[in-house]
Amino acid sequence: MNDIIFLVINGITVASIYGLIAVAVSITWSALGLLNLSYGFIFSFAGYGAWLAERHIYGEPIFVMFMGIAAGIVGGVMVCLIVFIPVHDKPNFTIRGMIGTLAVSLIGGQILLQNFGPKAKLLPEFFGYGKIKILDVTLTADKIGIICSSILMLTIVVKWMKSSRRGLEIRAMMMNPHAASIVGIGVRKTGIYVMAVTGAMTGLSAALLSQTYYLSPFSGLTPMIKGVSIALMGGLGSVRGAVIAAIILGFNEALTTKFLGGRYVLMTQFALIIIVLIIRPRGIAGILDKAREA
Amino acid sequence: MSNILEIKGLSAGYGPLRVIHDLDLIIQSGERVGIVGLNGHGKTTLFYAIAGLTHWQRGSIKISGKEIGRTRSQGPGRYTHIVVKEGLAIMPQGDEIFHGLTVEEHLDSGAFTPLSWKNRKQKREEILEIFEPLKKLINTPVGRLSGGERRMVSIGRGMMSEAKLYMADEPTLGLAPKIGKGVLEALLKIDLKDSAMIIAEQNVALLEGKVDRIIGMHAGKLKGEASSSLSMGLKN
Repeated sequence: MNDIIFLVINGITVASIYGLIAVAVSITWSALGLLNLSYGFIFSFAGYGAWLAERHIYGEPIFVMFMGIAAGIVGGVMVCLIVFIPVHDKPNFTIRGMIGTLAVSLIGGQILLQNFGPKAKLLPEFFGYGKIKILDVTLTADKIGIICSSILMLTIVVKWMKSSRRGLEIRAMMMNPHAASIVGIGVRKTGIYVMAVTGAMTGLSAALLSQTYYLSPFSGLTPMIKGVSIALMGGLGSVRGAVIAAIILGFNEALTTKFLGGRYVLMTQFALIIIVLIIRPRGIAGILDKAREA
Repeated sequence: MSNILEIKGLSAGYGPLRVIHDLDLIIQSGERVGIVGLNGHGKTTLFYAIAGLTHWQRGSIKISGKEIGRTRSQGPGRYTHIVVKEGLAIMPQGDEIFHGLTVEEHLDSGAFTPLSWKNRKQKREEILEIFEPLKKLINTPVGRLSGGERRMVSIGRGMMSEAKLYMADEPTLGLAPKIGKGVLEALLKIDLKDSAMIIAEQNVALLEGKVDRIIGMHAGKLKGEASSSLSMGLKN
């Protein structure tokens, strides 16, 4: 029984970190038509931002976490200015955007490597070392903190998208970019907002993951691959689909680690994604969608 | 009376295709103008050119004296949001809707100019008075509405903004005659004040006597101009 609860907690912890990136990938894809492969770079960039803030400004863990989010926003806006705005109205934008963001990811990683060296860095524990015991299961403050802050971030983003004017713009662009330009929504301006918000989400996930594991110039690649595959399984463009897919894949990761060993995680993960996409080509969102398209 | 729209020597098209040929058009404030022509003669392209949505265009387009036309060869839609801010409300042909937004959000999405955003609640009420059937559907996603209801939402979205020029592209297309007539009547009910309205339509009979002027469109050029008999009668 304890094992099961432990697995559940682990699954949700993993899901909440990767889920943030998956939702970011999903929103960028459907709002801007950009399959953003630079989240790996934004991830490391935000991590180093938090690390620099801790060393040079102020060491308080919560402050470091917010600096990570801020660095993520800067990274997102940077990618938007470098890649999205120059190519968004050129022919073959989807491919160009993908290659451009991948290039940013690789070049950015090398620049980080040059400046900070290959040695892994550690961020302070944000949530302390406390422990709570519920029904014989020990919950560390770390896990509770990760889950709560991710859910909080996601709730804020979803609420903002639902209730604000900018959020309405972004959702309109996700549904019908042509009609969006007809009602006067500027693609470039909205692009900056989208990339800032998704950058903040990536920044938070970077801060959360770097404090448990470590931070290195290319430590963002695995979270990005996982984020993109979760977004694919959720049906690119659906926030709810991405969240559900993140939970499923989080459990898969926890279960596989427990019963088969950590090295099989990617294998079972992709097998699961392929099975879902064979049965439901539009991913989990295909099951959820109630409104018919255009 | 001032000129709301002033077009001089406008040509526009898609790729190698030239659809609009050196077109001139002046529309004054308070005017309701019908543009009538068959399918494929450039009504929609004229609207798209004004909004900057064609692939290329050249010539001068002025809204209230401000130049919005540019000679450009790529990037349809790149400047559309700027044109919309200058005071253009487009009610496009067919289903250019946001299928996942509720009717309420969809109407709000038409009010993105700063002034209209402030007045959006009051505007929404006014529009729901005109389109009664939408009142019950206010929280329904637009993707679940019927064709006629969608058209009402789409036209309502255009009416939400405080525009100088309203352009309705075939508002009755594909609707049952009775519903189409209702939609058109709603368009004619809008109090124009200082703004102007262009309605593109294939069916002359629907517009006759209800607009100030009817202009024919043929092969990318404006042909002939007839003041609508009834409104002339009223004015004299």
